[in-house]
Amino acid sequence: MADRVRVRGVTIHRPVIYGNIATVLTPAERETSHYPDHTHRWTVAVRSAPSVPDSDIVGGADDLGYFIKRVTFKLHDTYPNPTRNIDKPPFEVSETGWGEFEIQIRITYVAESGEKATTLYHHLKLHPWSITFPMPNASAVPVEPEIPSPENAAKLGPVHSWQYDEIVFTDPFQNFLNLLTAHPPTPLPKASVNKKPVPFHSSNPASLEASLKGGVPEFTSAMEKEEADRMEEAKGKIIKEQEKWRAILIEKEKDLERLQKLLASKE
Amino acid sequence: MAVSASDIRSALSLPSSSTLVHSITPAPRKSQGQVTKKPEGISRELYALIGPSAPSLVAHLAKPRLKQKPNFGSGGKVKWEWRPFRNAGRTDSLQLGHWVKAGDDPDAEYSFTKYNVQSQSYTYSQEEYIHKDWTKEETDNLFNVVREYDTRWYVVHDRYEPPPDGPARSLEDLKDRYYSVCRKLIRNRPWAGDEASKAQLLNSYQFDKDRERMRKDYIASLEDRTPEEIAEEEALFIELKRLEQNERKFKKERDELLRTLLGIDSGLPDIVAEEDGLSALSAEGFKKRKKNANEIDLPSTPSNIISLGPPPPKRPHSAKSVAYDAQHCIVRVEPPASSTTKITHTPVHLRSFKLPAPKAALLPKVTQTLTELGINHTRLVMPTRENCARLESLIEATTALIDTKKVVDRVEQDIRVLRIRLGRASEGAEEDGKEGTPMEVDGGPGAGADIDADADADADAEGEIDGRAQSILSIRSGRGRKQSRRSMSVSSIGTSASTRVGKRQKRS
Repeated sequence: MADRVRVRGVTIHRPVIYGNIATVLTPAERETSHYPDHTHRWTVAVRSAPSVPDSDIVGGADDLGYFIKRVTFKLHDTYPNPTRNIDKPPFEVSETGWGEFEIQIRITYVAESGEKATTLYHHLKLHPWSITFPMPNASAVPVEPEIPSPENAAKLGPVHSWQYDEIVFTDPFQNFLNLLTAHPPTPLPKASVNKKPVPFHSSNPASLEASLKGGVPEFTSAMEKEEADRMEEAKGKIIKEQEKWRAILIEKEKDLERLQKLLASKE
Repeated sequence: MAVSASDIRSALSLPSSSTLVHSITPAPRKSQGQVTKKPEGISRELYALIGPSAPSLVAHLAKPRLKQKPNFGSGGKVKWEWRPFRNAGRTDSLQLGHWVKAGDDPDAEYSFTKYNVQSQSYTYSQEEYIHKDWTKEETDNLFNVVREYDTRWYVVHDRYEPPPDGPARSLEDLKDRYYSVCRKLIRNRPWAGDEASKAQLLNSYQFDKDRERMRKDYIASLEDRTPEEIAEEEALFIELKRLEQNERKFKKERDELLRTLLGIDSGLPDIVAEEDGLSALSAEGFKKRKKNANEIDLPSTPSNIISLGPPPPKRPHSAKSVAYDAQHCIVRVEPPASSTTKITHTPVHLRSFKLPAPKAALLPKVTQTLTELGINHTRLVMPTRENCARLESLIEATTALIDTKKVVDRVEQDIRVLRIRLGRASEGAEEDGKEGTPMEVDGGPGAGADIDADADADADAEGEIDGRAQSILSIRSGRGRKQSRRSMSVSSIGTSASTRVGKRQKRS
């Protein structure tokens, strides 16, 4: 029973990625499929963040089965059996379709964790990212990205949409902690060994160009550093502004005092 | 005075020592016990006068011999010329002249310019000011004096005048107030650098008033000791050292004895392992002590004396454990002290679920500012622990900036209102005729417009972020104008102004 004691003050996390890849179906494939109106083949997955070098999938260097019991992907209702349970790695679902929709992903952990399942959402991306990707609250009407024709889309290559995240366990049970420490995660590489492109993210518009170069993207710790640098830069600018405005404020307060004195002396 | 026997003999023209009894001479010679060899460079009598004390001796020896003239190395003559120069550190372009070697580069900057560094002074706004004992004016006054006299505390203390009904401020009081304000400011303002440099800067402003006062008292009392007291203290000090030495010897002997008597069961820590192993061994020793306490009587008494107490929980500070934690993505947080209250368990979550968000009131402005800087605070590319912390401090800094701008606007408006009131006050005092008043009526809002134009011009000169600030200013100024036209009672002005307004309206 000592194992079922929570280890206080310890937070342990595991980096994961979730998202999808989508490719346009070739005309030949479309003829032979059961659903002639499906235009794309896509795979949604939950994997570990670092990629195996020389692999053609994003992430997946570590097997997450040691702490994830089951991943449930809830697809659109128009799919038969929309609730897809995946009980063993690789935790992914492959399908064909024509439309983008939100997929609910529910991750159930092994019993030792004593934790409830976590739910997250992923917007299935089929069409390529467009240059005019709208910023979150730029305008009231969302800009419709251009959807290229099938020939152009096939030329552009597969579309990737991945999000990095970390699953955080606080005060884990002792035996769960032991289980986790028995499987240390592979650290993210500093930079891509095979010069794979940076995955695109809406918060980092600069990555669009890199991602369009084609090839399977890879998550690296350089991306984290890049974001950190961006934030530090922004913070530096803000602090400079702040100092400037504070100086203005002090001047104005002096003026105010002076005027008040003047007024008091007149009355 | 160390006068040798031979000196006396030669002075008194006595015969040499060999004719006298030998017993006399060796005694005085030996009793001197000092160097009787004739020193070099200075005369013997002079040496005897100065004594063997080093500084004056060295100084004397270092003097150039009078017989030779020193050669300063340049052999040839050096030409000097009088040149005017400017000190880049001065703001008033005062031109002085000094002698400079002819060969020097004429345009080189005055080499002492770089010493004109201003120590960083802290200024602060009304909002950041809170204290019960020191009023704002007094603190302002203090800061001005400190800045002017460059934190030279003795001068500051001398020049500082407390307000007429305030208490007299000692040097420690002034220093204490100044440093505590600086520390508070550093702590509370968002800081551009990283945490380490902030802690360093914070440390440089440490000042403990009581300690300073005590220290100064000690030094003063040290100086005031009489010679007897000094001698007494030295004797006591020697005594203390001797006692400590004895104690250590005694303890060692006792440990040796116990070890020989009881062997490994004495419960004493091994002499060998002294570093990390000590606590582990002491833990073992403690356990063994517990076991043996029940069985043998003899070791129990010494173990009571030697007991080290329960070993403190050792935190894994070693480099290995840090690497272990990093590898397994473990982060250790101080568990809260009160373990009695039931701690609700934080369930498992994705880190992006707990991204810091700005307060609702300022949310749109914060988002807009961050968007201009290219940051989206709702989704991070890589929401790691460090990045989330960075985002939090970024949001904090942005919020502070927006607050400051708001306060500036408020103060701005107050100034405008006051100016108008001043305009009216001066006009009322002079009792102008009818022609005066329409001009004043226009002058009021006109003056307001002038102020706004200035403010807008200032805002124009700034960067893109202030495009938004400019719009805020113009909105406010519009409202201000309307206020002054309608009636002045909206702002916190006395009834006299509104009655004047009433009169004016009747006339026009």
